[in-house]
Amino acid sequence: MKKLLKYLTHGYLKETILAPLFKCTEAVLELFVPLVVADIIDTGIGNGDKDHVVLMCAVLVGLGALGLAFSITAQFFAAKAATGFSKTVGNALFRHIQTLSYSDLDEMGTSTLMTRMTSDLTQVQTGVNMTLRLLLRSPFVVFGAMIMAFTIDVSSALIFAVTIPVLAAVVMGIMLAGLPLYGKVRAGLDRLLGRTRENLSGARVIRAFCIEDRETEKFAHENDSLTHVQRTAGRISALMNPITFALINLAIIVLIRTGALRVEAGLLTQGQVVALYNYMSQILVELIKFADLIITITKAAACGKRIQSALDGGTGMEGGSEKDGRADSPYSVEFRGVCFRYGNAAENSLTGIDFRAEKGSVIGIIGGTGSGKTTLVNLIPRFYDASDGEVLIDGRSVKEYDIEALRGKIGVVPQKAVLFAGTLRENMQWRDNNAADEEILAALATAQAKDIIDKKENGLDCRVEQGGANFSGGQRQRLTIARALVGAPEILILDDSSSALDFATDAALRSALRSLKDTTVFIVSQRTSSIMHADRIIVLDDGKAAGIGTHAELLESCDVYKEIYDSQFRKEGGESA
Amino acid sequence: MKNKATLRKVLRYIRKYIGLMLLSMLLAVITVAGALAIPILIGNVIDCLVPVNGVINIDAIPPMLLVIGIVAGITALLQWLMGVINNRIVFDVVRDIRNDAFRHIEVLPLSYLDTKSTGDIVSRVISDADQFADGLLLGFSQLFTGVVTILGTLGFMLALDPWITLAVVVLTPVSLLVARFIANSTYNMFKKRSEILGEQTACIDETIGNQKTVKAFCREDEATAKFEEINERLEKCSLRATFFSSLTNPSTRFVNSLVYAAVGLFGALSVIDGSATGAAGITVGELSCFLSYANRYTKPFNEISGVVTELQNALACAARLFELIEEPPQSPDAENALVLNDAKGSIKAEDVSFSYVPDRGLIEGFNIEIKPGQKVAIVGPTGCGKTTFINLLMRFYDVTGGAIYADGTDIRNITRRSLRSSYGMVLQETRLITGTIRDNIVMGKPDATDEEVIAAAKASHAHSFIKRLPQGYNTPIGEDGGTLSQGQKQLLCITRIMLCQPPMLILDEATSSIDTRTELKIQDAFMKLMKGRTSFIVAHRLSTIRDADVILVMNNGSIIEQGTHESLLSAGGFYARLYNSQFSEI
Repeated sequence: MKKLLKYLTHGYLKETILAPLFKCTEAVLELFVPLVVADIIDTGIGNGDKDHVVLMCAVLVGLGALGLAFSITAQFFAAKAATGFSKTVGNALFRHIQTLSYSDLDEMGTSTLMTRMTSDLTQVQTGVNMTLRLLLRSPFVVFGAMIMAFTIDVSSALIFAVTIPVLAAVVMGIMLAGLPLYGKVRAGLDRLLGRTRENLSGARVIRAFCIEDRETEKFAHENDSLTHVQRTAGRISALMNPITFALINLAIIVLIRTGALRVEAGLLTQGQVVALYNYMSQILVELIKFADLIITITKAAACGKRIQSALDGGTGMEGGSEKDGRADSPYSVEFRGVCFRYGNAAENSLTGIDFRAEKGSVIGIIGGTGSGKTTLVNLIPRFYDASDGEVLIDGRSVKEYDIEALRGKIGVVPQKAVLFAGTLRENMQWRDNNAADEEILAALATAQAKDIIDKKENGLDCRVEQGGANFSGGQRQRLTIARALVGAPEILILDDSSSALDFATDAALRSALRSLKDTTVFIVSQRTSSIMHADRIIVLDDGKAAGIGTHAELLESCDVYKEIYDSQFRKEGGESA
Repeated sequence: MKNKATLRKVLRYIRKYIGLMLLSMLLAVITVAGALAIPILIGNVIDCLVPVNGVINIDAIPPMLLVIGIVAGITALLQWLMGVINNRIVFDVVRDIRNDAFRHIEVLPLSYLDTKSTGDIVSRVISDADQFADGLLLGFSQLFTGVVTILGTLGFMLALDPWITLAVVVLTPVSLLVARFIANSTYNMFKKRSEILGEQTACIDETIGNQKTVKAFCREDEATAKFEEINERLEKCSLRATFFSSLTNPSTRFVNSLVYAAVGLFGALSVIDGSATGAAGITVGELSCFLSYANRYTKPFNEISGVVTELQNALACAARLFELIEEPPQSPDAENALVLNDAKGSIKAEDVSFSYVPDRGLIEGFNIEIKPGQKVAIVGPTGCGKTTFINLLMRFYDVTGGAIYADGTDIRNITRRSLRSSYGMVLQETRLITGTIRDNIVMGKPDATDEEVIAAAKASHAHSFIKRLPQGYNTPIGEDGGTLSQGQKQLLCITRIMLCQPPMLILDEATSSIDTRTELKIQDAFMKLMKGRTSFIVAHRLSTIRDADVILVMNNGSIIEQGTHESLLSAGGFYARLYNSQFSEI
């Protein structure tokens, strides 16, 4: 939290100080009002001096106008500090997220980071704005009113000194009692949300098993318990106004009672009693505003803390300085005894992987779900660092490379095929900002994606919606393959990238990729047909290499491979699913 | 117009609580009267503080103060009671609406659910309902008391002095005008701001949602530049909108202080004139009371304009909820609908046509006859309409022409419940519900014994992973399976149908997420299950469906070939090409 405030005090120190300052000046002006009214009663009415009354009313208007001027200035500084602060923090957080490594992202979770950037930041902005405007003002008015009361009459003012702490205690008590209940309300809402979402996305299953009634009953039950908590919370927060109202009136009664005695004794005037009464009323208004403010600030502080932890999270990844590999190395990619373990996982995801891939060769990687296929290819562009052993590209450890230079050599087609909002050309120029149309069209042809743009009226200029929503899954997959091919990568990684393609297109794609003579291609797949013609196949089983070799060799020597193959290419007359 | 209709619907829900409503209104009148009486009572006391013939009638004061105390006490108590009642009405009304909305979701046709985004419907049931509750509560607690306060103060003030009242009445609307003026002129700024905010959210969504891809292509700098450009614009726009809208409070406060000064002026002059002529003026006590009224009178004006905006917002939210509730539900089961018990499993499609969109036919003139116990495979490229066929079989959608018969009865004359429980369905997309592992397995057979559950799990090879979970079959799993892997989820879905052993089966890529070795092991269990049961199988891997009795080959939504593996291969058509492409050389 403190570190977050640094962004406020560094960039917007002037505004941060001036906003509350002007606000407090405005409050001081307000505190003079009861004094002026007392003067109207005692001097103006007491002496029957009409001119004095007019003069004092003019003073009231003057105080109001000055207050307006001060307050507008304060609002401006507060708005400036708040919006500026949220911009600076937003930029800092966004930049920080860009430096996070894959492990950091796994640990923190992208959806969490997105909430930090959006709703948390908005809450903090509101919080800062309100704090600068009101945090000092309310206590200032409350204590100011008490001090003014002391200047009028010390013994009457003692009533203030007792009332204020009692009121503060009551307001705080009610809030503290309410806060945990509001947490429960949120949790209840979350449960309803979960239930609703799963009934929508799982509508088919729920109807297929005819459990609509049971689900409705569960929802109604959860809804009831939410309503119950809401009522309890409401009952407590509904105490706030009546109790403060009763307390203030009690204080006023005591005040007038002692005031009356002192007026009788000639120690106090009638006008002064009215002034004291007015101060008491002002305190009530401010305290309630203050309670609202505290709630806003508590929320904002919680959000601020989350943003801070996001800013502190992650360690990033240090790159080396080398731009090129060793010219004499015959191997494009080499794994030497590589082990890998995710963050705080109990077991290794990869253990003792050793292999070499010659330049221009095609490497297939196959294995069951969770056998470590994606993990293996993720080590090549150094998305993660091996926990043990070494990954080399062109004869040099990936850690020695400048990260941008390293990834520039590699075209990656991730499992999840996403495109970004913009034109298709912009999407295709991701690896090379200056790629010419001919090169892009060639890549599209290799990726079997030529027909997609042929159908589009404006070709490469056609719009891509966010996430590529205006393309089908299969189209997106082919376009992401083309994106990786632009800029002639030395290494191409296809991570289960043809799952949405039918067999015919998949086969055409594979034969087109074969023609890229200078590119080392890694194909990750669950289908034997996708990798059986590779120069070398790595069979992964539970993070270990169960076999490395050609299709024919593996059929002979590797049981796991043979089992996978048989499960997909059964002999005639075999059982089927 | 639309608001009016929505309001009527809201009132329909509130009607149930009409007694509480009336009570709440009565309490509002009483508490406002109490709150307004107190300044008058205090004013009376203050008037006693003027020495008459040099003596203050100090003994008259305590009883007056006692009255004030009693009034304040009762008012406070009733205020709390009113708050509790308002809470109760609002939360109960929202609960009722939410329940109706959820119940309605369960009977909405799938055609609606398939086309509407889940997020949109969820936000209607959850956040719209919540915002509606907030607005309604604010309306209840402030609108009515606000109006009563204004009227009450006005009445009290008129009784005290009509001329000063006139000054207050004339000046107060100025603050309303100022507030309205500011709201209008900032409207465009806020609209612009939310546009840019939307743009920023989209940018965040895209970049951070796909952060790994961004990093893989080293696009960090481009992404940052884009974000910062939007953020810069957002700051400028936010500053303007925030600043100008924050002028409302100071401005109305200024107008209020004008009102206050005017009351002070006219009041004080009236007191002086009164004491000079000894006639129709007000007293100092009345002046203090007037000043306190002036504050009270202006406050609800400021609040009400806020409340009205809130209420409009609440109504808009309610309208979205009602839109959902009023969406036409699926056609109810026919009155004389048959209950399909122990289906034998003969399925006949006669001249079936179907389309999702009225003028774009998808399936036309489709005929097939399936005998009990036959195994039907459906193949074809992605998006060819395999799922559509299943939608029709299960009556998730109704045919637009022709008819489908199960055991000789048109399925539209069979209750949905009995038809659907005759099928066991495993879909490629696994869906689990929040609850324990066991809850998920017994979905189709809630009264299953533990032995039956374990036997089913053993058959589907799910037992070994379930028993390794922290609490075995009683391990709770979060929304949509939580931490279970895709393959494990699919195993659970298979266990479900192993348990209820329905007369017919639908397997839509049922083993797609399970690695091929485990799949082989499950095959046995599947074979046993399929024996004698009519089954429909959708599969990508053609090798798995070669022994099907009928293979339906679909493309672009229609069935283009139909036959056994051998007959289709020798026909050399689409199926043959598809089949051979699996084995083609690279």
